[in-house]
Amino acid sequence: MPGELLQVESVTKRFDQVEALSNLSVELVPGTVGLVGPNGSGKTTLLRLLMGLIPPSAGRLSVLGYDPQTDALRVRERVGYMPEHDCLMPDLSAVGFVSFMGRVSGLPREVAISRAHDVLEFVGLKEERYRKIREYSVGMRQRVKLAQAIVHDPPLCFLDEPTSGLDPEGREEMLHLIGVLAKLGGHSFVLSTHLLPDTEGLVDQVLLLNAGRLLAAGPVATLLSQSRSDTVVRVKGDAPAFIAALAAKGVAVRADGTDIKVSLTDGNTRPVFEAAQASHTQIRYLGPSVRTVEDLFLSMMGEPTGRSAP
Amino acid sequence: MSISAPRYVQGPVARVGRTFRTLAIVQREFFRRATWGPLFAVALTWFIVIIDTVVSVDFATVSHGSVRSAFETIYESAFWDLLLLIVTATVGAGSLADDIGSRSITLYLSRPIRLSDYLAAKASATGSWILIAAVGPGCVAAGIAAALGMVSASDAFAAVGGCLAVGVVVTVFFTGVALALSSFTRRSLYAGVAIFGTVLALSASVGVISGITGNADLLYADIASNVQGIAEAAFGLPSPYATDPIASVAVLLLAGLALLGLAWWRLSRIEVVGE
Repeated sequence: MPGELLQVESVTKRFDQVEALSNLSVELVPGTVGLVGPNGSGKTTLLRLLMGLIPPSAGRLSVLGYDPQTDALRVRERVGYMPEHDCLMPDLSAVGFVSFMGRVSGLPREVAISRAHDVLEFVGLKEERYRKIREYSVGMRQRVKLAQAIVHDPPLCFLDEPTSGLDPEGREEMLHLIGVLAKLGGHSFVLSTHLLPDTEGLVDQVLLLNAGRLLAAGPVATLLSQSRSDTVVRVKGDAPAFIAALAAKGVAVRADGTDIKVSLTDGNTRPVFEAAQASHTQIRYLGPSVRTVEDLFLSMMGEPTGRSAP
Repeated sequence: MSISAPRYVQGPVARVGRTFRTLAIVQREFFRRATWGPLFAVALTWFIVIIDTVVSVDFATVSHGSVRSAFETIYESAFWDLLLLIVTATVGAGSLADDIGSRSITLYLSRPIRLSDYLAAKASATGSWILIAAVGPGCVAAGIAAALGMVSASDAFAAVGGCLAVGVVVTVFFTGVALALSSFTRRSLYAGVAIFGTVLALSASVGVISGITGNADLLYADIASNVQGIAEAAFGLPSPYATDPIASVAVLLLAGLALLGLAWWRLSRIEVVGE
């Protein structure tokens, strides 16, 4: 369908006896999409299907209006791909490598060289672009991978674990680069990751996978507003006693650092105050929790809060 | 880190077709092979073949012998095959193994090219080097012999034709060997040893078994026997060998193409976007 980024209709993919994706259906519009799930959830299989590298066992897919199975080359002309693992050519300079990848993507030689310089400057490798890739640090290699994915100016980029192996500073820089690209407009990104914090503030749509099954998909704001919302309580005094008193009233409650997250029925706060009175604690804050993609994912997985998916 | 938006958003750029994308890989792969090992192997082949051929032709001219037979002399020993085997091992070992080892094959195949384009590009680049070693020195030797007045221009052209005929057939076979064995490993060193060892072991064992059993058909599995038979026919000489040159050409071409098919099958089994 014109105007759609990705369309997946009842797609199943089996490898021998293993069902990597099970009856997956989703439609996403242009923008920045978080493809989120634990390792083995089917993210990479979905990317391979979307690029037409493997056929689905059942169902059909559409990428930017093209079927990856019948129009694989058209899809790949319009797609940039940043793999998770190291896959660079160590004996080439960054500018030689990126321009070569541009040529293999269909750019004329002069255009490919010009764009290679531009994108390497963009990713912060202007000064180092003539050095051999084998001399690069992990962070620099990640930037070269991003540069080769965008050198041909594709309308859609698949970024597979773009912060993999990076230190906190490098991770922030990589996410910042992706954020800048996303804000440029005209480009959509599918950010495949098992690190849920990587998606915060960056993606406007999310596709949550677990064990090859779709947990949720759609705009982040819509999913968060539709999901069950916790109330955050902060108390002064004996917090464990307060939690025990609340639990005794049949209220779902859990500690999350200094916060106590409470699931209230119909927004009725009366049990909270009764528990505070019973446990001789003071309520210092009572309000809705700020939901994140991570909260959403973990609530759907039925897991306690953590920093990343298992 | 200073970030500025890429300036490349200048409107749509006309994209080149698959042929040009494939040629970009051929060009890159051809020049990537221009390292000391392959260059030395090719230079050694050129030096030995040119010297040997020119001396043989000069001797034939002086002794009123057959000039064509002199041009064909280099193919009579297994030495030419050995030189080409060295070139093949040094040039072709890393053709696929390096990409599999570095996993850059993922990047190639996520681009708008087919697996067959990628393999054709690799085969073209590797085959070009082998062709330079297989055909080049014979042609240069013919040119030198003609320039020095040892042979007539027509004999020189006939010799060039003979060299081309033998060289092209052998190039197809050795390219297939190189790519097939290179596709089964991540390390070019292992591929090089496999190329060298497999061809030598095959030739040696076939010669012995054929001698013991007296079965001449087994010689079609021997590279040197096939090359000698084809060379005799290509240079218009009566063949004393038990192998039929047409059958030898078919064996080498079909084996080369089958090995390329094996390389294609092997690559198609590789996880392009792996975990």
